[in-house]
Amino acid sequence: MIRDTSLFFGHEVRNTLRNPVWPLFGIMQPVMYLLLFAPLYAGMAFGGDFGQALVSFAPGMLVITALFGSMGVAYGTIYEIRSGVLERIAVSPAWRPAIVLGRMLRDVVSLMIQSLAFILIAIAMGLRVSPLALVLMLLLLGVTGLFSSGVAYGMALSLRDENAMGQIMQFFALPLMLLSGALLPMALGPDWLERISWFTPFYHPVEAGRALFAGELTDLSIPLAFGVMLALAALTVTWSVRSLRRLAG
Amino acid sequence: MIISAQGLKKSFTTKSRKGSQTVEAVKGVDLEVKSGEIYGVLGPNGAGKTTTIRMLSTLITPDAGTAVIAGHDLVKEPAQIRRKLGYVSQAGGVEEQNTARAQVVFAARIYNVPDPAKAAEEILRKFDLSDIADRPGRTLSGGQKRRVAIALGLVHTPPLLFLDEPTTGLDPQNRANLWDRIKELREQGTSVLLSTHYLEEADALCDRLAIVDHGVIVAEGTPAELKRSVSGDVVTLRLDGLERAAEVLTPLVARTRVDEDVLRVYVDDGEHALPSLLRTLEADGLSLRSITMERATLDDVFLAKTGRSLRDTGAAA
Repeated sequence: MIRDTSLFFGHEVRNTLRNPVWPLFGIMQPVMYLLLFAPLYAGMAFGGDFGQALVSFAPGMLVITALFGSMGVAYGTIYEIRSGVLERIAVSPAWRPAIVLGRMLRDVVSLMIQSLAFILIAIAMGLRVSPLALVLMLLLLGVTGLFSSGVAYGMALSLRDENAMGQIMQFFALPLMLLSGALLPMALGPDWLERISWFTPFYHPVEAGRALFAGELTDLSIPLAFGVMLALAALTVTWSVRSLRRLAG
Repeated sequence: MIISAQGLKKSFTTKSRKGSQTVEAVKGVDLEVKSGEIYGVLGPNGAGKTTTIRMLSTLITPDAGTAVIAGHDLVKEPAQIRRKLGYVSQAGGVEEQNTARAQVVFAARIYNVPDPAKAAEEILRKFDLSDIADRPGRTLSGGQKRRVAIALGLVHTPPLLFLDEPTTGLDPQNRANLWDRIKELREQGTSVLLSTHYLEEADALCDRLAIVDHGVIVAEGTPAELKRSVSGDVVTLRLDGLERAAEVLTPLVARTRVDEDVLRVYVDDGEHALPSLLRTLEADGLSLRSITMERATLDDVFLAKTGRSLRDTGAAA
């Protein structure tokens, strides 16, 4: 099991390293937000206090990266179905879930490296964050990434259609992103909006991230976010492994 | 027997807005493949060839039936079977971004081959791929890609290889080249089960074959046996008054068949039957435009068993 998972993980990492342009592109967008939008944000809401603004702004950007990061890679899986690559692997004696798990682990590792780079840039811009908070944030992002990876591969393997997958993602991405409070904290809005957002998945890691970056390590939102993300990750990873089984007995 | 299957069945349900529809892809297939032989499954598109291969290679579970493959039960021990088979799908499964070598080495790793690099090197050499082994899949030609696909299925030297439409889309030269490679497998004792809709391929390559249509086997045997079963020779006549000609020739021949603007006459021994056929037609005042004689082909077998020509089904080229 572990051997097969690390085998597929290694293969995927080598594939990514052969063309590291894409993860680089993946991080460009949040970095641009950081460089071009965060100053505006600081000026509007925090009277120009950059460090303070980043505490609120950086976690949102990180969660958005986690939300979209693995989606693009999962598209590639649809191609792998069509070209027979997945089928070829499915008749091998390899442990089936390893095929998906190896890919997800690659996505999670890639996301954590992207996130670290992003946080380092934010620190250079004036964010103050303790090492423990940094580690916890990276772990939380890892679990969040695993959840969105599970959704992405589950969709790719069960829909097997780039168009349908694109449409569904577009449809859900915008409300989920707005309701996560990643751009502006939900606390700024009316009560009812915040109440709705509580029931959307990405609200929790954003809130927990803000608590972590503010140094409030005992804040309840942190264990809550870990709990919610772990549960959702378990659910969606199981779903995507099942979808693979439907694909090939 | 490397494959022994009885009564394999599989149907698929497709759901659409118009309601669900069940298609019986395979309606009960019995197959016996001997160790070391090349066994062909010949039939038009949609006959159930791919579904049969996917069942036998553990990719999909049959709805009914039993099979023992390489000594293991298909339903109870798929994991053991997977270790012993190579499978090359119609799509091929060649990665676009990765080099041929990297893919073959990785395939060897998946199968726990002791020295993956060496095994890859050997199979790539055997398939004349050494020179292009370090090029990514997307830069390879159709024939090269197909050879990589087969190398991927053989790197762990399985005793049994499944090839689903191995030469579809290849030009005649590449096809002939691939046939030679597949024949070499037989010399090494690898058993091969391949599906094809090419008559020539089944004829040239297979020790034995099954002709399938609409999910059932309609005929089985060696190519020579099958052709003998429909009489040895086919005489094709072009003339006016096809129906009348068929009528007067019927007592002299095994079977007659009007095919659009020609009359096909099946005889056991064409060389000796020809003079009397000509005399009979002349006596009846029917004047021939042309006459040709050839050995019966597998298409004649298909025609005799299904009433259709495999060429007419749009499958053969």
